[in-house]
Amino acid sequence: MYALVDAVSFYASAEKVFDPSIRNKPVVVLTNNDGCICAVCPIARRLGIPKFIPYFKIKSFLHKHGVVIRSSNYELYADLSDRMMNVIGRFCDNQYIYSIDESFLYFDQYDSVVENWHHYGHKIRQAVWKETRLPVGVGFGTTPTLSKAANHAAKKMLGFNGVAVIDNEQNKHEILHRMDVENVWGIGRKITKKLKLKGINTAAQLAQQDPKQIRKQFSVVTERTVNELNGISCLSWDEVQSPKKEVFSTRSFGQRITNKEALRAALVSHVTIVGRKIRRQSSLVKKLLIFGSNSPHDDLYYKQAIVYPFVISTDNTCEMANAVSRVIDSIYKDGIRFYRCGVGAIELENKQFLQPDLFIPDHYNGKLMECLDGVNHRYGDGALQIATEGHQPKWQMRREYLSPQFTSQWRDIPKISC
Amino acid sequence: MKVIPIYAEAGISGFESPAAEYKELGLSLDQLIIKHPNATFIGQASGHSMKGVGIFDGDILIVDRSLTARNGDVVVANYNGCFVCKLIDKAQARLLSASADFAPVSITPEDEFSLEGVVTRSIRLHHQSPELAACML
Repeated sequence: MYALVDAVSFYASAEKVFDPSIRNKPVVVLTNNDGCICAVCPIARRLGIPKFIPYFKIKSFLHKHGVVIRSSNYELYADLSDRMMNVIGRFCDNQYIYSIDESFLYFDQYDSVVENWHHYGHKIRQAVWKETRLPVGVGFGTTPTLSKAANHAAKKMLGFNGVAVIDNEQNKHEILHRMDVENVWGIGRKITKKLKLKGINTAAQLAQQDPKQIRKQFSVVTERTVNELNGISCLSWDEVQSPKKEVFSTRSFGQRITNKEALRAALVSHVTIVGRKIRRQSSLVKKLLIFGSNSPHDDLYYKQAIVYPFVISTDNTCEMANAVSRVIDSIYKDGIRFYRCGVGAIELENKQFLQPDLFIPDHYNGKLMECLDGVNHRYGDGALQIATEGHQPKWQMRREYLSPQFTSQWRDIPKISC
Repeated sequence: MKVIPIYAEAGISGFESPAAEYKELGLSLDQLIIKHPNATFIGQASGHSMKGVGIFDGDILIVDRSLTARNGDVVVANYNGCFVCKLIDKAQARLLSASADFAPVSITPEDEFSLEGVVTRSIRLHHQSPELAACML
């Protein structure tokens, strides 16, 4: 049996943990730079506030309804995520943390231990609520994809109170025939469109397709999804957690940037983030995409993107920073008020299979990068940085509605009235 | 807390300090005062109503959410959108202060109320702490 446990609108719920004054109020959380709404608590959802809508478009509506607005407080979310995952992990010896607020559990030979999965799900919910004050939904299924479907039902369908179980044909059909095919795990927007053209609208209809035909028309991945919906496990932890094929770091600026050095500093700081991420998954970058643009709402839209190929794949932040320096003249243009920039490692290789070059001796500086990551892990990101990153905080995130660092700064610990 | 470990070395002779092999034996305050790390949060007392149980203005409170409050426990509750620290009187649904200057507060159905955890420890800072200085203002 598999389970997927995840938090109900995690960022918004996290904001309520240490701020009891907003527990019963509608709360929304904004993305990086306060651009869009990225989390809507259930109370705010009832007001009909959609996700991913630009903040400026809905500002007055939010104000009118007294909606509490928060900037993303990543320090708080990271801490609460840790706690939540630890509590969930107590209920199973095989836990895989899939994202900041989602965790898979695999119950191997638990049938003699757990009599009733429904009860067990409620036990998990209650423990997480009691100990962390975060609401979670729990879905059980005989495959990872079915557990994800059950989780969807637990949180979004009427009649389920935060827990749903798929362990026989009857309860499987009950959930899948009420589930839009676009909500099936692994079915993206493009595939949804094609499926709907073929008259496949629900998850139940998708489950009835011939896997071989689906493979021909779509891909092996979609075939697996069909098999998983029919109770045949195809995904293993290793596949779920396979390294990312692309790694991006990109952000819009708090204030427009109009000089070359500032743009370079911002790009180098993105390189630092990408470098850290690819080293963590033991990848090397072969091609690096470097880009900058103004806003699409500006009179004349300007965007320049350059793909920089490395002679030998690398995970060295210094080399990537050099790449930025080499292309900055082509990206920067006088008179453009840059709004957004970023870098992406678009072609990655496994570090294990690196082919060294006979004529470029000792280019790989692993020790230095190990030291860089080690120092930054211990003393906080940015403790050690590349000089070209500069020390201008201008490009950094705008977080106007930031809540205090309740759990990571002594000055911000919650005040308790006596 | 981030600590840079610099260990004492014995003289300049190059011999290792005889104490070096015992360096892992330091005591951890966390181990002593936090039994359930995932369910515990740290807060700061503000006010004078709990003097009778030794909680003074500015004290640090260790709050454990995993424990079920028993009658008479020092608890932290969400009372109408505010974290409060009081003694819980379960029988009469009241919040009691530990000071004669403050009357008991009855919890009515109209109140927003939830127990947030049990105060398992409180810490007195006899010298001001620079990390917390901002809170003292």
